[in-house]
Amino acid sequence: MRIYLPIARATFMVGLVYRFGFLFTIIGNVVYLGVAYYLWKSIYHYSEVIRGLTFNETFLYVGVGSAVFVLLKTYADWFIHYEIREGNIANYLTKPVDYQIYNLFANLGSLLVSLLAISIPTAIMLGLVFRVKVAFGIGLVLFPIGLFLAFLISFSIDYFIGLMGFYSESVWGLSITKEIIVTVLSGALIPLQFFPDAIQRVLYWLPFQAIYHTPLMMLTRPNQGLNVFLPMMAIQLVWAVLLFIAARLFYNQAIKVLRIAGG
Amino acid sequence: MSLIHIDNLSKDFRILNRREGLGGAFRDLFSGDYRTIEAVAGISFDIQPGEIVGYIGPNGAGKSTTIKMMTGILKPSGGIIEVNGRAPYDNRIRQAQIMGVVFGQRTQLWWDLPVIESFKILREIYKVDQKTFDRHMNMFNDLVGLGALYSQQVRTLSLGQRMLCDITASFLHNPQVVFLDEPTIGLDISIKAKIRSVIKELNSERNTTIILTTHDLGDVEALCQRIIIIDKGKILYDGDIKKVNALFGAYRTLKLQINNFNEKTIQTLTDKLCEQFGTENGITVAETEEFWTDVTIDQARTPLSDVLNFVMSNFKVDDVRILEISMENVVRKVYDGALG
Repeated sequence: MRIYLPIARATFMVGLVYRFGFLFTIIGNVVYLGVAYYLWKSIYHYSEVIRGLTFNETFLYVGVGSAVFVLLKTYADWFIHYEIREGNIANYLTKPVDYQIYNLFANLGSLLVSLLAISIPTAIMLGLVFRVKVAFGIGLVLFPIGLFLAFLISFSIDYFIGLMGFYSESVWGLSITKEIIVTVLSGALIPLQFFPDAIQRVLYWLPFQAIYHTPLMMLTRPNQGLNVFLPMMAIQLVWAVLLFIAARLFYNQAIKVLRIAGG
Repeated sequence: MSLIHIDNLSKDFRILNRREGLGGAFRDLFSGDYRTIEAVAGISFDIQPGEIVGYIGPNGAGKSTTIKMMTGILKPSGGIIEVNGRAPYDNRIRQAQIMGVVFGQRTQLWWDLPVIESFKILREIYKVDQKTFDRHMNMFNDLVGLGALYSQQVRTLSLGQRMLCDITASFLHNPQVVFLDEPTIGLDISIKAKIRSVIKELNSERNTTIILTTHDLGDVEALCQRIIIIDKGKILYDGDIKKVNALFGAYRTLKLQINNFNEKTIQTLTDKLCEQFGTENGITVAETEEFWTDVTIDQARTPLSDVLNFVMSNFKVDDVRILEISMENVVRKVYDGALG
């Protein structure tokens, strides 16, 4: 594993090279927070609590959700697809590295850059400008772990889609479809509590809510007990492992297309 | 023991026959109409440690396919391939440790970072210890003088500088064999010369085996003792460069743009040249692109200047270019039995 650490370090440095990308990430997020504030303010105009969530909880959920969205958006699917289509994958195949682990660490580096770009401005906006209050509880401690597991799940899905490059010239449609499914079903756009109960029960078992809903719950409702959080984390862990293995098996299958049919 | 052992190696590709038009594209979705292309059709050779071998041939000859099999990217369809006693595709990660690869068309360096960062990453990937790394970097610096470039972003390097960095990077982990696929493509004469001398130095310093594919016969002449010529997946020639050298050296192509070019021009020119220089003149005339007539001349038999003078005084010529013999022509000469 040690040999992959410099990869994460390098993507981290690449992220810092693009200073303006950094800046626009911050500006974009601040604008989004402003819009979301007034939107949810008007929704909460007539009632204090909607589906068990106060305005404070919902806005914290949505605000941090947008930050987590930026964090997990590593564009791994586009990047991997491009490398395969252009044949640059040959550069990795002639090195003593594992392609999946290599990409995992590369994405970890980008994650850290985004963390730097997004976490402090979002915290300042939510805390000082919008005066959002955060409750205390065990969830706050679990949040970093939940976020990391969410990253692993998100990476595996993106990696999987990127590998479609072995079969398809274009991954555009697939990527957009995935984006929409994940955004809606994960609770990144609207808190899952706003969904009908039956749908919520189904979504609970899917990998999508494990990406956004689980870590966001740890932050917005940290004072819930371990009996709530542990099962959620178990689901995260199971999906992280399952998807990682599935992506690995898919790679072993897909690489044969290249190795037999040529690049 | 030979470092690379290849025996009756072959590689087939199955390619879907594509149909024309939109309707054809739809039918292709369900098509099972494949044809098989034999990219490499039963080649055999052995390469000894420390050799520099020029592996040449025209486009689509099977060069890259062979390289990809030697590097473990492609799995052979048949035959035996062993690098350092092991099959490359079954031991990809282990084999990667003993070889270096440069694909001239793409870089292994990190585009957005200073050059030195790529070297540091490669150091970790190949588990080169710091002392060895420093020694190598000093050596590269003495050899190439890249020290000044190390802090530059790769994207700001010229193509030639980038290639020099790519080549030295492929030697960083002291591999037993380095594959250089078109390392001088798109470079000017002076940087080509620099790259050739660097390759030669690295080879003699470390006794690294080098397999070089190129379109530039100058690379082969400058670097290789041995040359393997491949065409249509089969080996045409494998042996000493000296024999082939005479071939490259002696031939020149005179490209002529003859005024009022018509379908009879080629024939008239051929006849007149035979009249002037005899039938065994070593001259061939062909039209390669529109309005251009190519006259290939074996200078051992007829001096180029004589032909040029003769043509200029007998035809109205709009434009003239003189070229060294191309890869395609070398292959044609070999087919015609030039190497006996």
